Amino acid sequence: MANPDAPRTGGPLVAKQYAVDVNRKLPPVGGLPAFGVIDQIGGRSDLMAVQLHRCMPARPRVFQTLATPIEGLLTPVAHGPAGNACYAICLAPPGPSVQSRSRPWSETELLNCVLRPAARVLERLHELGTTHRGIRPDNVFQSAPGQPVVLGTSWTMPPAMAQPAAFEPPYVAMCLPAGRGDGSIADDVYALGVLLVRLALAGLPLEQLDDAAIIRRKLELGTFAALAGDHRLPPIVGDLVRGMLAEDPEHRPTPTLLLDPASARGRRVAARPPRRAQRPMTLTNDEIWDARSLAYALATDPDQAVNAVRCNAVEYWARRGLGDAQLTARIEDLVRHRDLDAPSGDRHGGAEMAAHLIAALDPLAPLCWRGMALWPDGIGPALAAAQGSDDASRLEEIITGEVAAGWAAQRAGRCDAAAFRVEARRQRSWLQQRGQGGLPRLAYLMNPLLPCASPLLEGHWVTSPADLLLALEVAAGRVDQRQVEPVDAHVGAFISARLERRMDKQLSGQTNGAGGAVALTHLRILAQLQSRLRTGPLSALAGWLAVRAGPVLATVRKRERRQAMEERLQAATATGHLPSMLQVLEDPAARSEDAQEAQQAALALESIDAELARIASGATTRAAMAARIGQEVAAGFGLAALAAVLAVAAFG
Amino acid sequence: MVAQKQTGTGRAPRQHSLIWLQGLVCGALVTLATPTALLLGVLLGPALLAITLDREPGRPRARSIALCSMAAAVDPLRTLWTAGHSMATATGLLTPTTIATAWIAAAAGWLLADATPMAVRIALEALSVARTAQLRTERARLVEAWGLEPPPDDQ
Repeated sequence: MANPDAPRTGGPLVAKQYAVDVNRKLPPVGGLPAFGVIDQIGGRSDLMAVQLHRCMPARPRVFQTLATPIEGLLTPVAHGPAGNACYAICLAPPGPSVQSRSRPWSETELLNCVLRPAARVLERLHELGTTHRGIRPDNVFQSAPGQPVVLGTSWTMPPAMAQPAAFEPPYVAMCLPAGRGDGSIADDVYALGVLLVRLALAGLPLEQLDDAAIIRRKLELGTFAALAGDHRLPPIVGDLVRGMLAEDPEHRPTPTLLLDPASARGRRVAARPPRRAQRPMTLTNDEIWDARSLAYALATDPDQAVNAVRCNAVEYWARRGLGDAQLTARIEDLVRHRDLDAPSGDRHGGAEMAAHLIAALDPLAPLCWRGMALWPDGIGPALAAAQGSDDASRLEEIITGEVAAGWAAQRAGRCDAAAFRVEARRQRSWLQQRGQGGLPRLAYLMNPLLPCASPLLEGHWVTSPADLLLALEVAAGRVDQRQVEPVDAHVGAFISARLERRMDKQLSGQTNGAGGAVALTHLRILAQLQSRLRTGPLSALAGWLAVRAGPVLATVRKRERRQAMEERLQAATATGHLPSMLQVLEDPAARSEDAQEAQQAALALESIDAELARIASGATTRAAMAARIGQEVAAGFGLAALAAVLAVAAFG
Repeated sequence: MVAQKQTGTGRAPRQHSLIWLQGLVCGALVTLATPTALLLGVLLGPALLAITLDREPGRPRARSIALCSMAAAVDPLRTLWTAGHSMATATGLLTPTTIATAWIAAAAGWLLADATPMAVRIALEALSVARTAQLRTERARLVEAWGLEPPPDDQ
């Protein structure tokens, strides 16, 4: 799609090779803006640039995994910040998306042009240990009718974030868009199955419904029945899709099996339909007839979930309405543990109980917490997308309470509970490390490609500490240096998360102490960064830090020493070398001498004040002394006169 | 209180004995050396009066007056003793000039006793003012150099 004859532009350059032609917009890819690209070295014309979104971090592991191109998939070539944005350079789609075709696809086309090429890609991805999670009509392309389709980008945003509810299993669709997690290749098989239905019918029967209704319908009827309904699908495709759309991922065929549709068609899975209750349970005017619909209702309505837990309504319905003895026993176990374990006054006790109850009702359900659902491997991207919103506080509760570990323990047969427990504990310890940025730091730790969200860096895409210093250098000329700190909470959290060798001591002190201590801590952090990363002079940032260093200088008591230090600081500032500034301001020998001399000066002042007070209050004493001395002097004069006269009388 | 009582009871008999002794000496002097007693009585009259009136501890004024008067009385007394120590000589020596000289000396002693403490006090105050100025200067220098608090206004 890129035009090889386009003139070379001076647009933003990615990886020092790919110039993004921002004036040549392409149709959006995966919901993100796309632009033409000029390969200034290789001269390739089959590339495009996808502009990444700031709050939707790309998938770093997939970037690495897809370093080797895969036929039938738009793989990334390079990525990185350029100008004020970040672009991923990748292969351009070979043609329009399959969404643009309005007539139904034939069975042969579906098998040869869609199923087999896509299954081949999924098989390769499965071998590489990753997933696609972006199979939907607007992200699958075809160069010409009869040609194999090409899967679009899937690594420019969190997994399945842009997937419509219809194209994801209900247990994924109910999650936060950014919290759907990497999932498994079975989820891609599911999406491929929905795509086949969509292409075979030239539309989806559920398309007019909202997400919640689609999920509810899928849970009640099963996905195949909900999607295909009464429509007739081509026989082979129909048989294949029935297996591909199984609710349980373990029941779906593998990509390898899909490469041979004939054998895949003959595969039968013994999936039991959900048990339907004899009488419904009513929650917020909705009648619930099966356990997984109840689990979904409890997941979406946290208040009802807590109430149901408190009054044992679920236990009663499972025993009387549903007649499921096994489920009833599980629920009774949960309730018994709640009564034994839950301390009185635990504010999240109800929510935790509801989460466990949902997991017991439907072992396939994701982690549900106070009206929010997500898969534990999606916590990182969810944190990135939720910064500053109400979801962030609930995510914090999940991490702090290690809810994911409890959830995994409830479905131990379906996941490695020990691994989840270790991961939950690790996340909690990251979050609770004192004074180091809390939730933002955790978001940066869990999303290596998430740019720093500090308002100081507006317009700059900062993903590494080296970029951060350069961005702060630019920001120094824009902000009010007297009012704004160079290391705000986001910058501190970003540095703390991105440095291999930690600066825990410095970062923990950045919010404590008086203004001078904070300013010195900021200088220490940035000076260490400059020293470690060997960045060049940062004159503007140095000037900014020098302005903020007023309180640090004020801690030097002796005026002459302070003035000398100020002059040395100005000289160091002019060089733009932050460690030199730090050296001037710290100078332990001078500070020790200053403290010692200040103590001596204070003692001298105290002594002077005492003597002045003594003089001021000593008038009476002096008068008495004057009287005494004067009288003695007078007596002395008289005695001298007498002695002189006697001497004259005796010898004269 | 006990110490004061002890001191009081210890000193009173001594004062009484001194007064008794002084009376005895004066009586002996008047009886045995009547010319000398007359001459000294007239010339040292202001001193005796000052001793009677001065109630300050140590009687500083009386002491100064007495010393000065005694200095003025030495020459007439020597003349009396060398001229035969008679009443006639004694009365002859009591001329207005001699008396005036002795009494002026007594007045000079009084003036000395009152003026010297004032002069000393002026000197001490001058020293205090100079020291205060020196201390204030030193304090201002410390305040300026160390950024300490300014000197209080009341000093």
